[in-house]
Amino acid sequence: MQDTAAKGDGIHMEPGAAFGAETAACPQPVFKMLREHAPVLKVPGGVVVSRKADIDEAFRRPEVFSSNADALNIGNIRPLIPLQIDPPDHVRYRRLLDPLFAPKKMAALESRTAALVNRLIDRFVDRGSCDLVPEFTIPLPSEVFLTMFGLPLEELGTFLRMKDGIIRPPGDQDEQAAHRRATADEMYAYFNTVLDARAVDPRDDILSGFLRVEDLTREEILDICFLLMIAGLDTVTASLDCFIAYLAQHPDDRDRLVADPSLVPNAIEELFRWETPVTGVPRIAVQDVSVGGTEVKAGEQVMVLLGSANTDEAEFPDADRVDFGREVNRHLAFGGGVHRCLGSHLARLELRVALREFHARIPNYRLAPGAVLEYTAGIRSLASLPLVWEA
Amino acid sequence: MKVVIDEELCHGHGRCYMLAPEVFDADDRGHGLVLVYAPPVELQEKARLAAANCPEHAISVTD
Repeated sequence: MQDTAAKGDGIHMEPGAAFGAETAACPQPVFKMLREHAPVLKVPGGVVVSRKADIDEAFRRPEVFSSNADALNIGNIRPLIPLQIDPPDHVRYRRLLDPLFAPKKMAALESRTAALVNRLIDRFVDRGSCDLVPEFTIPLPSEVFLTMFGLPLEELGTFLRMKDGIIRPPGDQDEQAAHRRATADEMYAYFNTVLDARAVDPRDDILSGFLRVEDLTREEILDICFLLMIAGLDTVTASLDCFIAYLAQHPDDRDRLVADPSLVPNAIEELFRWETPVTGVPRIAVQDVSVGGTEVKAGEQVMVLLGSANTDEAEFPDADRVDFGREVNRHLAFGGGVHRCLGSHLARLELRVALREFHARIPNYRLAPGAVLEYTAGIRSLASLPLVWEA
Repeated sequence: MKVVIDEELCHGHGRCYMLAPEVFDADDRGHGLVLVYAPPVELQEKARLAAANCPEHAISVTD
């Protein structure tokens, strides 16, 4: 395991960091090996679970497999809402928050998202080349957030700095922890200032929406903002990285999307299954419990490998084949159970619009000669994705 | 055919109303709602497809 532990007890901070960068580039064969030989793998501090049946079971029992603040600590001073709240309190938060992220709400963002996508593409389309990561996959999700929050796009730099200060702080372990705390303080203060402004002058944005929910305190709203920043940006960046890297290397599949854009939604589900950008999610056993026949002690971490569930032959026929026409696809790329990703409908919208617009304008791209794709472990994002096409 | 969503199991993935909007809709939280409890023959294949795609196994379709 990579030693990115935020705490000294072997509980690892990075979800799914069970493997290094080499495995992150092509994790599916490793998942298969785990499912066959060590479906509940003992690691320092807990277990890594790789079979879909065991993962389904863990998601169905949140009272045993907790997602509380012990599962992941990243500088927040209070639990992240709603991720680090277990039932029954969790139910209250999701009832309040789900409507703000429901598909019908997200649909209203479609045209603004398309405008943001095209604004980014405008900057490189005539050049015939780009590095998609800094020029597209990193800015897009943050710009969509700025739009949702009713903030000007000029705040992009501030947003990216705060997000990275939590997710990838510089320095050794102690410096990282200090940097996270300082960034967390800055983020709470930043959103507090904006919320003060919205309280006086409400607008048609999600922050004003939070303030309109009478049951939410200011602290709770700040904890929600914190979660959105760390959960809603890098994950979409990683999904864009994984999906477009796959398509750049599989021109037949890419050409099918170009020829028939109506395939995009199903292709996205299949790419979520195959690529599973968020490799795994952590849980904490709150009592001694048997997982797939292996005893797990109370307090131990249970790392659930979503990517392995999504390529489990027991669930998916021809699991190793990427098929945009796959009819039955119960993938768990957004997790499952009560903590199903709150932003899944937003993520799907962003990916659908991005893939549709990108392929309409740049149908014939390929990896730049000599490009080496380096994936990060855990959240499978790329450092660089150099593409070329005939401009 | 009879279509039922178990509200205890549904966690709002939204696969049913994406795949079969003629049979399912979203409530204001994004959880699934059955629009047509007894779908006519021409919609039954879609209803089955939606049920088969529910990640939580929350939809039952009985003949």
